Amino acid sequence: MNLIINLLCAFAGTLGFSILFNVHKKFHLYCGLAGMSGWLGYLLFIERTSPAVATFFGALVVVLMSRAFSVWKRCPITVFLISGIFPLIPGSSIYYTAYYLVTNSLEMAAVKGVESIKIAFAIVAGIVFVVSVPRKWFNLKYWRRGAKDLK
Amino acid sequence: MSIDETEISNKREVIQFALDAGTIQLSNGAEIWRVEDTISHICRAYKVEDVDAFILSNAIFITGSNEKESIFAKVKHIPMAGVHLGIITDVNDLSREIASGMWTVEEAKVKLEEIRNQPPNNLIYRGVSAGFASGCFGYILGSSVTEAIVTMVIAFVVFLLSVYFEKKQLSKMVKNILGGAFIALMALAATYIPLIGTISVNQIIIGGIMPLIPGVAFVNSIRDLANSDFLSGTVRMLDTIMVFMYIAIGASTVLSLYHAVLGGAL
Repeated sequence: MNLIINLLCAFAGTLGFSILFNVHKKFHLYCGLAGMSGWLGYLLFIERTSPAVATFFGALVVVLMSRAFSVWKRCPITVFLISGIFPLIPGSSIYYTAYYLVTNSLEMAAVKGVESIKIAFAIVAGIVFVVSVPRKWFNLKYWRRGAKDLK
Repeated sequence: MSIDETEISNKREVIQFALDAGTIQLSNGAEIWRVEDTISHICRAYKVEDVDAFILSNAIFITGSNEKESIFAKVKHIPMAGVHLGIITDVNDLSREIASGMWTVEEAKVKLEEIRNQPPNNLIYRGVSAGFASGCFGYILGSSVTEAIVTMVIAFVVFLLSVYFEKKQLSKMVKNILGGAFIALMALAATYIPLIGTISVNQIIIGGIMPLIPGVAFVNSIRDLANSDFLSGTVRMLDTIMVFMYIAIGASTVLSLYHAVLGGAL
């Protein structure tokens, strides 16, 4: 139950940000789906691994979904990617880093700072990983043709 | 006019149009390679071959030539106008249609003008959705329901405030530091609302800063770096980091002042 509420919130949040960025109405639903599945990917891994690893898988899912949508709907990938990646951005770690810096607990600041850098790099890795996959792989026809060739 | 001259002026018109299309995309938050793509698609579709464009995060340098001489050279500074992903989508579609030979230059110009004049969503509508979305994100990042509702209200106000600051042309630094400070103040004020129970100021701030977070610059910087546009990627990444720091400094300064002055019941 908790999981479902979480996913619904991720969906609604991503959709809200796509409105904020003036995405066309016909793409709102897909933006929400991309964000929701990314958050699902994050949740699946967060209990067994670290936040950075979970963020990597979350970002991976978001970018995969965004690319699939962008090939399917023939529109720029940015449309889905920007709002979909929002829940994964390490806003809280960066905020805590500055908070501990200002309140003079430098040790905690270092911990949180390294954590936010790790998460940011995880997002970078996730995006770069999928962006370098050839575009035609996201086209269903390519795979159907591939299956025929094998026969 | 001789045939040669008309041909040259036609080519100039095409390159100017390509530059306009690229400008609109870049100022609304497109990646570097997409702008390059648009310009080269349009030029190729209208059979203008010798065009070179060099694109930075805030400028386009473009030159064109024929066999004998250079016929076009322009450097254009492009400040970021605000994010409108709908416009990027439309210009992208337009360039694809041009590449398939659907429009003449004149028709395409009219189309581009239509796209450029598309208004953004209504301000209140955007504000409400930003607030609602921040509340939702606050909830999935660990807030209680009460905190999420408080976050929604604060994020809505903060979004309107940041739009107001932008209209007054305050610098990014002032806008984000004041925005962060305002969020922290509101979050502290919320703890004094009667009958609200215990709420965590930190959780409210984490949700509340969502509308200020430079998500577009962050994602674009990563995509630029991944495409080996290192110059623009670095500039945008630095931009992201600075904005993050401004917000966090604004918020945490207010919190530590509160600590120092009132003894801090955090």
